[in-house]
Amino acid sequence: MKFWKREQAGFEEEIRDHIERETQDNVALGMSQEEAHRRARVKFGNSVLVQEDTRAVWIWVWFEQLLSDVRYGVRLLFRSRAFSAFAVASLALGIGATAAIFMLFDKVVLRELPVPEPDRLVVASFGRPGTTFNYNLPYPQFEQIRQRNTTLDGVFATSPMGQVAVALRGEPDIAQGLFVSGDYYGTLRLRPVVGRLLGPADDRAGQAVAVISHAYWQRRFGGRTDVVGDAITLNQKPFTIVGVESGGFTGIEVGRPYDISVPIRAIEMLREGSPPWNEAFATWIFITGRLKPGVTLERAEAETKEIFRQASVDGARSPSDARLAAEHVLRLEPGTTGTASGLRAGYERWLRLLLMLLGAVLLLACLNVATLLLSRSDARRGEITTRLALGAGRWRIVRQFLTESLVLAAVAGGLGLAIASWGSEVLLRVAVPGAERLPIDVAPDLRMVGFTAGVSLLTCVLFGLMPAIRATSPRALRMVREVGGGHRRRLVDRALVAAQVALSLVLLVAAGLFLRTLTSIWALDTGYDRHNVLMFSVDVRLAGMRRPDVLNAYQQLLGELRNVPGVQSVTASAVRPVDDTSYLVGSVGRVGDRLFPGDKGIRAALNNVAPAYFATVGIPLIAGRDFDDRDSMTAPKVVIISERMARHFDGNPVGQRLVSGPIVAEVVGIVRDIRHANVKDAPREVLYFPLFQAPVPAPAFEIRYAGIASEILRASRAAVSRVNPGLTMFRMTTLEAQTRDSLSRERLLAMLATFIGGFAVLLACIGLYGLLSYGVTRRTAEIGLRIAIGAQPSTVRSLFLRDAAATVVAGAGIGLVGSFAAVRLVETQLFGVRPHDPTTFAVATLLLLAVAFAAAYLPAHRASRIDPITALRCE
Amino acid sequence: MSTERNRESVELLQGTLDLLILRTLRLGPEHGHAIVKAIERGSDDVLQVEQGSLYPALHRLIKRGWITFEQGTSENNRRAKFYRLTPKGRRQLAIETTKWDRLADAIARILRPASQE
Repeated sequence: MKFWKREQAGFEEEIRDHIERETQDNVALGMSQEEAHRRARVKFGNSVLVQEDTRAVWIWVWFEQLLSDVRYGVRLLFRSRAFSAFAVASLALGIGATAAIFMLFDKVVLRELPVPEPDRLVVASFGRPGTTFNYNLPYPQFEQIRQRNTTLDGVFATSPMGQVAVALRGEPDIAQGLFVSGDYYGTLRLRPVVGRLLGPADDRAGQAVAVISHAYWQRRFGGRTDVVGDAITLNQKPFTIVGVESGGFTGIEVGRPYDISVPIRAIEMLREGSPPWNEAFATWIFITGRLKPGVTLERAEAETKEIFRQASVDGARSPSDARLAAEHVLRLEPGTTGTASGLRAGYERWLRLLLMLLGAVLLLACLNVATLLLSRSDARRGEITTRLALGAGRWRIVRQFLTESLVLAAVAGGLGLAIASWGSEVLLRVAVPGAERLPIDVAPDLRMVGFTAGVSLLTCVLFGLMPAIRATSPRALRMVREVGGGHRRRLVDRALVAAQVALSLVLLVAAGLFLRTLTSIWALDTGYDRHNVLMFSVDVRLAGMRRPDVLNAYQQLLGELRNVPGVQSVTASAVRPVDDTSYLVGSVGRVGDRLFPGDKGIRAALNNVAPAYFATVGIPLIAGRDFDDRDSMTAPKVVIISERMARHFDGNPVGQRLVSGPIVAEVVGIVRDIRHANVKDAPREVLYFPLFQAPVPAPAFEIRYAGIASEILRASRAAVSRVNPGLTMFRMTTLEAQTRDSLSRERLLAMLATFIGGFAVLLACIGLYGLLSYGVTRRTAEIGLRIAIGAQPSTVRSLFLRDAAATVVAGAGIGLVGSFAAVRLVETQLFGVRPHDPTTFAVATLLLLAVAFAAAYLPAHRASRIDPITALRCE
Repeated sequence: MSTERNRESVELLQGTLDLLILRTLRLGPEHGHAIVKAIERGSDDVLQVEQGSLYPALHRLIKRGWITFEQGTSENNRRAKFYRLTPKGRRQLAIETTKWDRLADAIARILRPASQE
């Protein structure tokens, strides 16, 4: 095309010149000037069309060659169907799996918020420099920043509401809610689809208005445009819908989409008591802002930091407050991808690790296809030599080879895309079990298509370029007549196979380590009995209940459930033995007569449990007594402690008092240590308070049962609605299932790594098999001769096995060294197994060697069976 | 050029124009109009080149690297483009000529079987 652009002007002149000459010829034949010119033009034809046709040459020659290359490539691939099917399948699996994980990685980690200019958003956190910063901030400081800053184009506070019961014309439903301050939508620059969004005017008490998300609008309201003005109740309190958010936006925290947003001041209507609006040291809101154009993050941070410090100093009411105010500083971070996200924090490393594993297996698949293509290109040397001799350029043939690879890669990429779109959703469902709705939208998008196309192209270059260059190298062509090719070329083939062996060993070791991690977590002594325990939660707030009713309701629930057939014991607790939500940790400042002032306080996990908790869950009581009906609101405060906590006491803790914050309680019992809330956490100090002295709004009920869990659950549901029809059960599961779900990442990692490792070994063996088979074919004549002059079949067999052994052992050696280095990358994901676990390394190596031997044995055996007569006749 | 002679003229087979251009340029560089004239004259005016189709063909050959061109001055002292065979084009001419001979031979054998010769 460049050529044509340069030559176009000259070409017009050339045509004029051509017609001029023809005219002169015609004049010479005796025509008049006009007639001669007319005829010349007729003979030339439509000069514009000629220009067009000539221009088209420059596009079409290129395109025609491509088309013919593609046709030729497709034909060749069809001719060797087994090879093509295998190459396409292994590449498609590799590409598809990588793209599926990439898609999750993209949506969880990389994706920018779908708002205008997300790069100007900043997220605030605070803390003591050098320690972990807290993204929950106090409200008075936010108010000061909002009023006094000059560097931000809006700043807003949010606070998750969690579950909320939304009733529309009496029909109940549970949704996720978010409290937002007045500048939320303005700062994010979101627009409503219908109605209006919340604004600063809504920032006052008594504004019972709500905005619903686009997804919720579609799901619950069928996308009705007259939804504005609809009356709904949130936790039995009347609210009015004023508008709908535009589609695509799902909140500023990845993985936590909300359905409904209400003004932050409406907290008082939905929660008992009022939030600490004026306490400068109570942290409960997230703060996000937007930089003014041209303002740097540093400048905005410098300003807001000072406002924050001033507000903290002003709000300090005690010496310890003043110390905190002096030590803690505000920090601003880029908020392009949203605020701190639990999903991102929990899954980023995991996704990176999976991407790494899959990248390795994709590389292996490329090496594998390259190996096979290399032996094929050797077989095609005759064809290439002929074509080169006939005048085809080397580049032209390289292009032909690359086009064939491209056809392979394109088919594999297309299949991979299908695998990825299906796989990312499956993966997410397994990774985030129990979620009724997926935390992120996994519909395939342009970014994923782009990634898949890019990866396919890259793989094509990886596996296609070397065979193409080698097949057309002048040195290779000189060897056309040589039998078996050069020594160096065989070395390259072996190196490729050795690399595959090495990579597959690394992946196998990784799989072994993850499997052992999973089994060792599963086998841990958690301190309780996870079998035959059914659990579900209820939230009395969703039924609009207040405190006096709540305790009654809990008593009635326990009573009703106890009567369900098959139920052996029933209890309730704030935190489940294995929990997927956060739990509270308190500081104990005094045990018995020992004082632990200030920072020295004993950090202890807190739980509030009903009587019979320890018996139901299977935690042995070591000393003292369990809670019972005596421990009511009016009775003296009591506490049961874990063994580890008991060690902080002098003498027998039972009967002594401990002080935690405002609570003073007498120790009435000691129970065995457990791995609190998370099976992977080491046992820690735990304080159990009686549920009926310190009620929580959304307790879990634990039922130890005999029989079938689903039947008990059905009967329990009836029991719950007998107590209060407004109460809904959620998070229904068994303790065993919840344990399994809590290990979903470890399980998935072990599962995928095992699959990847197996796949890698299979590929490496196919590579090895291909290399040896090719060697046998190439050396048929030589072997025939050997056998003819008296070599034993076993000698021939061991000749080839030795050949294979050299490659495999070299590869395994490199793989072992590589594994030793690579375990550093997975160390953080391991549990209960040392990264250099000798058993895992040994088993992986032996497994690989055994499978490789089997793969090598087949061609070696075939070689030993070569009939010398046939072999020699072939030559 | 009379109408009668036009009636006797034969249209070129697809692809043969390339061969004829290569053959013509074997005798030395020529400009576009002269190539047409040479083909027509060389075939005793039996072959009529549709002049417009000459240029796409020339460019196709340039693109394939079989011919190249240079600016020069023609007999009447005007600037003109002279097309010239490249070594690659020379090889291609040999290949194409062989192909053509075999094709012509084969067609002739079908049209006039040996028994009739």
